[in-house]
Amino acid sequence: MLILVTGGSGSGKSAYAEERAVLFPAKRRIYVATMYPYDLESRHRVDRHRRMRWGKDFETVECYTHLDELYLPRDCTVLLECMSNLVANEMFMEGGAGERAEEEILEGIRQLRSQVRDMVIVTNEISSDGCLYERETVRYQEVLGHINQKLARIADEVAEVVYGIPLILKGGRANEEPLEQL
Amino acid sequence: MEMIIGGAFQGKESYAREKYPEIKWKKGTELTEEELFAAEGVLDFQEYVRRCLLEGKELSDFSKRLFQENPDLILVSQEVGYGVVPVDAFDREYREAVGRVCTELAGCSARVTRVVCGIGMVIKGEKC
Repeated sequence: MLILVTGGSGSGKSAYAEERAVLFPAKRRIYVATMYPYDLESRHRVDRHRRMRWGKDFETVECYTHLDELYLPRDCTVLLECMSNLVANEMFMEGGAGERAEEEILEGIRQLRSQVRDMVIVTNEISSDGCLYERETVRYQEVLGHINQKLARIADEVAEVVYGIPLILKGGRANEEPLEQL
Repeated sequence: MEMIIGGAFQGKESYAREKYPEIKWKKGTELTEEELFAAEGVLDFQEYVRRCLLEGKELSDFSKRLFQENPDLILVSQEVGYGVVPVDAFDREYREAVGRVCTELAGCSARVTRVVCGIGMVIKGEKC
């Protein structure tokens, strides 16, 4: 099963995603962390998320770029957080996929999805503030928007979390849409 | 407690005033903590959070205290977390703080209504 969790910042997405991930039967839970701790603020953020996961038996795997190089055991649940960071890393980090960010991330998801049974992906809604940004940022919004749409298409469930309240945009039942749709 | 939320210029205030014409509304831009804890309804609650941050007030147990002391409060607040992460550190802190505080308060609320284009959609609790 694939669950996509979206929402604004500070909306309670992570807590909801964790809540869903621990309900899957696999004993082994792997948290794929995509946020690169480049400064104090992001380190605090990472710490906060670590504290939230404490006691829930997640093993953390850091993956800032090249999701397609990640190989995980079949019988595990994956919680990937957060797509917005992964996209930013691929687009703007040295050694990232740059212009090919969208294709490479989708390829990475395709591979992960074929490896593990249950997966929760946290993403972010970053394009609804009506502000005009510079070209690079708009390109970033566009890539993340495309990825979100494609993930939602193959997801069994899509939830938008609003202040801790999950609004189910899609779901409940298993999705027949084939992986090739990515 | 009840919350009416939504993006900017969606008609949250009109919706709230229409639903609760008898209530005396206070404004988040100017009310004091004392007034907040005694208010019936507050508009632009996100601005109150901004003022707390500017004054360096601790917000860690704020939601809990507010709910305990004023459990019948109706809060109207703007959703501010739906854009690109701001470049400015204070803007980032503000967005995050509004999100966290409102998530906690929504957890306490019996009803949460989200207003889009003036139309209220109850996303938690009974419709009114």
